[in-house]
Amino acid sequence: MIPVLDRPLVQFGLATAAVLILPLVMRSGTLASEILIFGLAVAACNLLLGYTGLLSFGQGIFFGIGSYVAGLGLVRAGLPAPVMLAVSLSVGALVAAVVGWISIRRQGVYFVMLTLAFSQMFYFLAYTFSGITGGDNGFLDIPRPTLVGTRLTDPWTYYAYVAVLFLVLFAALQRVALSTFGRTLLAIRDNEARAGAIGYPVRAFKVAAFAISGAVTAFAGALHAMLIGVAPLSNIDYHTSETLLIMTIIGGSANLFASLLGAGAYLLAADALSAIWPRWLLALGLLLIVITLFLQRGLWGLIERAIVLVTQAPPPDDPARPVVTPPPVAHAPEVAR
Amino acid sequence: MQDRRAFLKGSLVVGAGAVSGVALPGLLRSARAADGPLVIGAPLPISGAFAANGKFASLGAAFAAREAAAALGRKIVVTDIDTEGKPAPAARKLQEAMAQGTRLFAGGILSSEALVMGKEATKSEGVFITTAGADEITGSDCNRGTFRWSVPTFGAIAQTVRPLIEQMPQAKRWYTITPQYVFGEGLLSAAKVVFQEKGIEHVGNSYHSLAEKEFSGYLTNAIAAKPDVLLLLNFGSQSSDALRQAVSFGLKKRMTIVLAWASGLEQFEALGADLCEGVYFGAQYWHGIDSPLNKELVSKLRESAKMTPNYSFAGSYQITKLLLDAVAKAGSAEGPAVIKALEGLGYLGLTGHEEIRAADHQVIKDYYLLKGKAKSAMKDKDDFANVVNAGKSFLSPEAAGCKMQQG
Amino acid sequence: MTYLFQILNGVGLGMLYFLLAVGLSIIFGLLQFVNFAHGAFYLLGAYLAYEGVERGLSFWVAMPLAAVIVAALAGMTERLLLRRVYKLPHTFHILVTVGLALVVQELVIIVWGPLGGNVAAPDELSGVMILGDFIYPEYRLFVIGFTVILAAALWWLLDRTRLGAIVRAGSESPQNMALLGYDTLSINTAVFALGAGLAGLAGALAAPIRGVEPFMGVEALGIAFVVVVIGGMGSYAGALAAGILVGVAQSLMATLWPEGARLVIYLGMAGIIMAMPRGLLGRA
Repeated sequence: MIPVLDRPLVQFGLATAAVLILPLVMRSGTLASEILIFGLAVAACNLLLGYTGLLSFGQGIFFGIGSYVAGLGLVRAGLPAPVMLAVSLSVGALVAAVVGWISIRRQGVYFVMLTLAFSQMFYFLAYTFSGITGGDNGFLDIPRPTLVGTRLTDPWTYYAYVAVLFLVLFAALQRVALSTFGRTLLAIRDNEARAGAIGYPVRAFKVAAFAISGAVTAFAGALHAMLIGVAPLSNIDYHTSETLLIMTIIGGSANLFASLLGAGAYLLAADALSAIWPRWLLALGLLLIVITLFLQRGLWGLIERAIVLVTQAPPPDDPARPVVTPPPVAHAPEVAR
Repeated sequence: MQDRRAFLKGSLVVGAGAVSGVALPGLLRSARAADGPLVIGAPLPISGAFAANGKFASLGAAFAAREAAAALGRKIVVTDIDTEGKPAPAARKLQEAMAQGTRLFAGGILSSEALVMGKEATKSEGVFITTAGADEITGSDCNRGTFRWSVPTFGAIAQTVRPLIEQMPQAKRWYTITPQYVFGEGLLSAAKVVFQEKGIEHVGNSYHSLAEKEFSGYLTNAIAAKPDVLLLLNFGSQSSDALRQAVSFGLKKRMTIVLAWASGLEQFEALGADLCEGVYFGAQYWHGIDSPLNKELVSKLRESAKMTPNYSFAGSYQITKLLLDAVAKAGSAEGPAVIKALEGLGYLGLTGHEEIRAADHQVIKDYYLLKGKAKSAMKDKDDFANVVNAGKSFLSPEAAGCKMQQG
Repeated sequence: MTYLFQILNGVGLGMLYFLLAVGLSIIFGLLQFVNFAHGAFYLLGAYLAYEGVERGLSFWVAMPLAAVIVAALAGMTERLLLRRVYKLPHTFHILVTVGLALVVQELVIIVWGPLGGNVAAPDELSGVMILGDFIYPEYRLFVIGFTVILAAALWWLLDRTRLGAIVRAGSESPQNMALLGYDTLSINTAVFALGAGLAGLAGALAAPIRGVEPFMGVEALGIAFVVVVIGGMGSYAGALAAGILVGVAQSLMATLWPEGARLVIYLGMAGIIMAMPRGLLGRA
C-alpha cells in the first residue's frame, strides 16, 4: 500500500521501536510480555490467513500444545528453557503439518470446519489425559527460565527475555514472508489453480506454511506458559483460536507488524475496559462490526490512511491484500482481483 | 576468557537492569502509603460464562469491606479484577496487582483460576483466600499464601451421601452421573469409598464431557439400571441441566435425586420451586443457617438492598471479612503477618464456629444437606429448602496430600 | 433394549438439531453467507419465549411470537447491516456475525441478568409417556411431532410454492433474477429472516427442555454448523438427515462412550468432510 512501510527493514524497525516503547508507557511488565507473545502467535496466524488465504480455527491447538510442552519439558523432563523452546518449535511444526495436511484436502468453509473439528479433538484429548496435562486444573508450577544464574521472576526482566526472542522470530517470519516461498504463498492465495498450473506443488507449500505457523504459535504458547506459571486448558480451546483470528483481523492482514498492532490493541483494550465495565464484551462486539464495515484493512489500514491524509499521497487501491515489496531488483506483480 | 564471560554476563545483567530501570517510574508510582486506604483485590469472573457468580461475589466483598471500614476506622478499597473465568487473565492480572503493591486477595470462584492465583500470590508473599472447590487447593497444591473457605469433595460427599444412607436404609442402589473434570473424579472417588463402606450397590456411572448440555442419553441409561437414588456429581449449569431433564423424564417419582455440589440460592432461583421440590442438595451455605453472624448478614442485607444473600455473595463476604479481621488482629496488612493471624484462627463465621487449620489452611466448617420444599410450603420467595443435615468431615492434611512448610 | 431407546431419544434430539440447522443451511445455501450469529438468534428466541411466559402468556402464544419477533429483528439487521457485508470475503462475514453474537449475548445479560431461568413446559405436556421400560417426556414427543410437521411445511414452501421457486432461483442465478425484475434484495432479507426465525423457534422450543441462560447460543452454533456441514451446505434434506444422524450418534454414545459423546459429533463431521466433500446430500 504505502510501499516504503512494507519494506522489511522498516517493518523490523517498527517492531523494535514497539519493543522499546512498551516499557516506557506501560505499567505492567506482564501485560507487555503478553502483547509480544500474542503478537508472535498472531503473526503466525497471519502467515496462514493473510499470506496463504487459509482461515484456520486451529491456532489454539498449537498455542496450547506449546504451553504443555513448556510444562512437561521444564517440570517433568527438567530441560533447560532454550532446549524446551526448541522442542516446542518442533512439536508445533509437526502437529501443524499433520493438521494442515489433512485439512487442506478440502476448500473454503469445509477447510474451516475441519480445523474446527481438530480443535475440538485436541481439546478433548487435553482434558481427558489429565495425568499428562493436569486436565481442567491445568499444568501448574511452570518456572520462569534462568539466565546467567538468575531466575527471571521480575516482570520486566522476563519482558526483556521475551522481547529478544520476539524480535528474532519476527525477523525469521519476515524472511519467510518475503522469500520466494512467501511470494509463492501469495500467488497460491490469489489464484490457486494458476499456481498449480505453473507447476508449484501447492499442497506442499500449504503444509509448509502450516508447519511454520504451528511452530511459531507453539513457541509463543511456551513463552506464555512460563509467563503465567501454568499451562491452562483454556489455551487449547476453541475460544483461543477465535481470539487469535480476531486479533489478526483487527490488526490487518497486510503485514506482520500489523499483527503486533492487532494483538496489542486487543489486549490493551480488553484490559482497560474490563476494569471499568463488566459488559465490556459488548464493546468488543461493536468494535468487530465497525471494523468489518469501515476498517477492513484493520488498524494498520487506519494508520496508512492517516499517513496518506497527512502526506497527500495517492489513495489506496485494493483493500485487505498484503503487498510484498521485494528489494528493488526483481518486482513481483500484484495480482489484481 | 574469564574476563570476557564476566563482561558478557555483566552487560547482560546491566542491560536487563536498564530495561527494568526504565520501567521503574511505573513501579514507583505504586508505592504504598502506610496510612492510605487498605486495598483488597477481588479476582472474580465478572465477564464470561460465570458472570453470575462474579457479580454477586463482588457485591459480597464490597459489603464486607464497608462493614470492616466502619469498624476499623480506615478506608478500605476492594478492587474487582476480572478474571474472565479463565486462568490466563487471572494469573496475569494478579501478577500486575501484586506489582502495584496489592498483597491481599479474596476471590477465585473457579478452581483452575484459584490454583494459579494462589501460587502467584505465594511467590510474592501475598495472601489469597478462595471459595473454589478443587481438592488440590488445600491438598497436593497447598501453599503458604492460599487459604480456602469451602469444603472439598471428601466432606461434600460425606455430608450428603452418608446422612441420606442413614435416612433411607432401603435405598441400596445408587447411580452416578459424573463430569469429566478432575474435580468430578474427586467427588466420584469419595462417593465410591462411602458406597463400599456402607454396602451400597453402585449400579452404574455415566461420565460426560465438560461442555455437555444434553443428558437424555445418560438419564435413559440411569433409568435402565433401576436405581433407588440418582446422585448427580456435576455442578453449576450442568447440574441444573441434568436436574431439569431428570425431572422432565419423571425421575423424581421413581427415585431420589441428589445434587452433591449445588450452588445454593442462585441455582434454586434459576430452576424454580416446582423442579426442586423433594430433591436433595448439598450446599456450602444457606441463608437459613441458624448462626448469629448469618442472621445478622441476612437481616442487614435484606434491609439495605432488599436482597437475600446467595452462596456467591455469602462466600465472598465471609472470605473478605476473614482477611480484614486478620489484618485487624495482626495490626498489619503485610502478607506474612496476615498469614500468621489466619493460621489456627477460630471464629464465629456464617456457618457457626469455624476454624482455619494451620497445617493446610483449610477452614473447618459445616457442609449442609438441603431438601427442596413444595411451592405451597414456602414462607417467602427465597424459602426454597430446609436444612436436613449439617456436619464437618475433612481428610487430615496428610491424607489430603498437603506438604507445607510451616511459618 | 437400551439401544433402541437411545435411538428413539436420538431422533427426538435430532429433530431439534434439524430445526436449528435448517435455518443456517438456508442462509448459507441461498446467500452464501457464513452466519456466526445463528446461535444468537436461538438465544433470543429462547429468552423471548421465557419473557412471554413470565409475563403470563401461554407457551402456545409465546413460542411462535418469539420466532416472529426474532425473524423481524433479523430482517432489520440484514437490511441495515449485513447487506453491506455480502460482497466481502467470508472472513468478514464471520467477523461481523461474531461481533453481533457478542453484542446480543451481552444485551441479554444486561436485560435479564446473568443467572438464567426456567421455562415450564405447558401443563398439557408436562407428563411422561411410558412404554414398558421406556420413559419419555411428553414435551419431547411434542417437539418431534411439531418439527416433523414444520419440516413438511418448509419443504412444501421451498419446493412447491412460487415463493420457494423464487428463493431457490435467487440462489442459483441472482443476476437472472434481477434481470427478470425480481427484487433480489428483499428476497435476501426474507430468506435471512426465515433462517433466523427458524433458529429463534428452535430456541423457544428448546427452552422448556434446556432452560435459558445467556451462553446457550455458543453450543447451539457449534451443533448447527456440524449438522449443516454433514448434511451438505444448502441442502434441506441434508439438514434433516444430518440432524437425525447427529442426534442418534450423540444419544447412542451415552451408552457406548459417554465421555466422547460431544467429540464423536465433531469426529463424524471430519470423517464426512473427508469422505464426501459435499456432505451427505449437498449440491454443487
